[in-house]
Amino acid sequence: MSNSYIHAEGLCFSYRDNDGKEEHPALKGVSVDIYEGEYVAVLGHNGSGKSTFAKLLNMILEPTGGTLVVGGMELTGKELTDDELLQLRRNVGMVFQNPDNQLVATIVEEDVAFGPENLGVPQPELRKRVEDAIAAVGMTSYAHHEPHRLSGGQKQRIAIAGIIAMMPKCIIFDESTAMLDPNGRKEVLDTIRLLNRDYGITVINITHYMNEAAEADRIIVMNDGLVLMEGTPDEVFAKREELVAVGLEVPQCAALIHELRRRGVLLEGTGISTPEACVELLQRALKART
Amino acid sequence: MKSVTFGQYYPAESLIHRLDPRTKVLLALFYIVCTFLCKSLVSFAALVASVCVLVLLSRIPMRLILRSLRPILFIIAFTSLINVFMTKGEHLLTPENWAVKIYAEGLWNALFMILRIMVLIVGTGIFLTYTTTPIALTDALEQLLSPLKKIKVPVHDFAMMMTIALRFIPTLTEETEKIMNAQKARGADFTSGSLLARAKALVPILVPLFVSAFNRAFDLASAMECRCYHGGEGRTRLNVLRYRAIDWVMMGAVIALGVTLILLNSCSFGFVLG
Amino acid sequence: MDKIYLENVSYIYGEGTPFEQTALDGVSIGIRAGCITGIIGHTGSGKSTMMQLLNGLAAPTSGKVLLDGYDVNTTFEDVFDAWKSLPEYQNLSKSAAKKAIRTEIRRRRKELCFRVGLVMQYPEYQLFEETVYRDIAFGPQNMGLSEEEIRARVLEAAAFTGVDTDWLEKSPFDLSGGQKRRVALAGVIAMRPEVLVLDEPAAGLDPRGRDYIFDGIKRYQRETGSTVLIVSHSMEDMARYSDDVIVMANAKVLMHGPCEEVFSRIRELSDIGLDIPQITRVMTMLKEQGFPVSEEIYTVDAAVEELYRLLVKGKGGNAT
Repeated sequence: MSNSYIHAEGLCFSYRDNDGKEEHPALKGVSVDIYEGEYVAVLGHNGSGKSTFAKLLNMILEPTGGTLVVGGMELTGKELTDDELLQLRRNVGMVFQNPDNQLVATIVEEDVAFGPENLGVPQPELRKRVEDAIAAVGMTSYAHHEPHRLSGGQKQRIAIAGIIAMMPKCIIFDESTAMLDPNGRKEVLDTIRLLNRDYGITVINITHYMNEAAEADRIIVMNDGLVLMEGTPDEVFAKREELVAVGLEVPQCAALIHELRRRGVLLEGTGISTPEACVELLQRALKART
Repeated sequence: MKSVTFGQYYPAESLIHRLDPRTKVLLALFYIVCTFLCKSLVSFAALVASVCVLVLLSRIPMRLILRSLRPILFIIAFTSLINVFMTKGEHLLTPENWAVKIYAEGLWNALFMILRIMVLIVGTGIFLTYTTTPIALTDALEQLLSPLKKIKVPVHDFAMMMTIALRFIPTLTEETEKIMNAQKARGADFTSGSLLARAKALVPILVPLFVSAFNRAFDLASAMECRCYHGGEGRTRLNVLRYRAIDWVMMGAVIALGVTLILLNSCSFGFVLG
Repeated sequence: MDKIYLENVSYIYGEGTPFEQTALDGVSIGIRAGCITGIIGHTGSGKSTMMQLLNGLAAPTSGKVLLDGYDVNTTFEDVFDAWKSLPEYQNLSKSAAKKAIRTEIRRRRKELCFRVGLVMQYPEYQLFEETVYRDIAFGPQNMGLSEEEIRARVLEAAAFTGVDTDWLEKSPFDLSGGQKRRVALAGVIAMRPEVLVLDEPAAGLDPRGRDYIFDGIKRYQRETGSTVLIVSHSMEDMARYSDDVIVMANAKVLMHGPCEEVFSRIRELSDIGLDIPQITRVMTMLKEQGFPVSEEIYTVDAAVEELYRLLVKGKGGNAT
């Protein structure tokens, strides 16, 4: 946990207008570290710069200022060679929002193979990687299906398998659950958790669902192109007013604790971001008073 | 809409379905050649017999095959009429004093023409569209044409484009339907009015469709870059096509058919094309 | 009287093909006028099909959809029966009569679209005009209204949905996702539908964008007395905004009633695998630990009341 995998300092990015004259700053100096094996959630409302930040991490967009080091590779201040870019992208995979727009092939297993094929992975390792990746997301029985017939959650799991097959060190989920129904969202979140816990993959989950963010080890809150705050879910959700002020909210269980405290009920403890922690805290208080 | 497979692919387990798609492309070519080799009634009979065998082997229902001939009925009728009336020969069938003259040769020509077109359509259909998915065809063409890469023909890129197009056809079809419904719900009318009014009524569908297709294209391009796509160079393939014994057997069989047809041409029973 | 009544409605996709699928199975249900009714259920439970039936985009395989007591699907026979005794009709030639009836059916269908406004999922995809104003005006224009009337409606709809007057002359494609969604909603509201039907109106929006949309819908319903139907996955959102709730499962209506009544059967909802509010899970867990709390709680406010009572009462008990 002590090794910083991603190190950003004063990272800036501006979008240009179509005519190239006006610049719209999307990131105005972001400094964060993300550590190996960590599960980080990046919260922020639409337009807060969180997706832009994600796209810089594997150079889909090039930063216009600041320093960025990923996996020991310096990405800023020089032209990257094609090999370096490939190296970066095999290490830092990305799963996007719309599941339909990231599947390339018309058969599940061929889609999953797309990444490793591009990397020139030879047989029989290629086949093994594809099978393992499909198994990791629990889709083995769908290996020969057509992706467009699958549900949203299943498509997204296939997209994840396609990234896993490249054996990345880190996966960025760019609002990957936003278009899914509750079941699909759960499928994807379970998969994310598994990748982080069992495969040791560093996970960055960009989201605007508070309940999702509560599952992470650490939350980075972005607003107006800057990091507003960072900390454990409990630390972040303890600052309800600040979150509401930037168009976010806290999970229901945290809201409950906040409201009870506001009414003068003494509740000891800091665990407020998950129902389990919240129950523990309430239980202590209830026991003390009955 | 989702459930409709586009193209004519008919999923089944058959000898022909199992052939390597490259074999099938080659077989289709051989078969076209075969149809042009026929000259005599006997060899045409053998050709028709062979197409019947193919239909049985491929396990495709006859009604499907007949349906696929429907769109070309007009062409068949037209060309056969031209053959009947325009061919001059020695055996006049109509009375001398008629303005329109029909010769026996014309009738034979028309018959052979009809057989040739139908066998050609059915035969290539069985090898290609009925038993091979569009994506397998794309793969086959890419690999068959890969020698052209040496003279800088971007074979891989065309195959990739084809694959993506095939992948997105169902997605965009669904999307079109969705947009049409949304605009209908706002009172758009696509079915009445003048031609100009109808063309104008398409704007509310086409604009959103293009916008969304472009957005999808941008997303897909990013996603492909993220998955290290950098053209066909140094790519490996998960499913490499391999010829098996059955492929060689089938190719041998069709070549043998061709030879047989040539031999049968010399059999002078009935009419022989000049 | 019920604004909308579904009378033994079934809908089957791809009838007679191997892909046949029953989306609605003998559903009979009435929807109260002037209320917000939430329809919740899994993907594929039939809820999205139900909304397409309401404005005639799809016709039921069997059964009737009644709006104010009249069948929304006009058949050739319906018009013929209504017209056959009229002298104007009898004077028409056979082909002219047929044509007139077809035109009438089309007119009625169109009119139905204006009376029952449908906002599809991710409606921002339907934007196409050069300016926001013209896009919102598309519906009213199709209604054949005058320029002044159209203008009034566009401004009214913009006000309901929180579309800034500054945006009206902008291209809709220059707006953010949440803003586009509001424009699309305004485009339907501008037709002033008596019934507004929405499919997942807040899907993919952040908390602020979601509140804008729901507040706009609520405002429209309150000020015009319209009937609103919202299809949603989110019990949390429905608990906040709807008066009545319909729960769909396996092509059938499982529950229907006032919000409090349906959500109090939270156990059953959880059993069919719906995503129950987090707050309910907290209360259920407390109950399982043996604390005397109600499990039938689905809003934060109610949970606060319940726990406050317990915690403060407990304190009082200790003191005496």
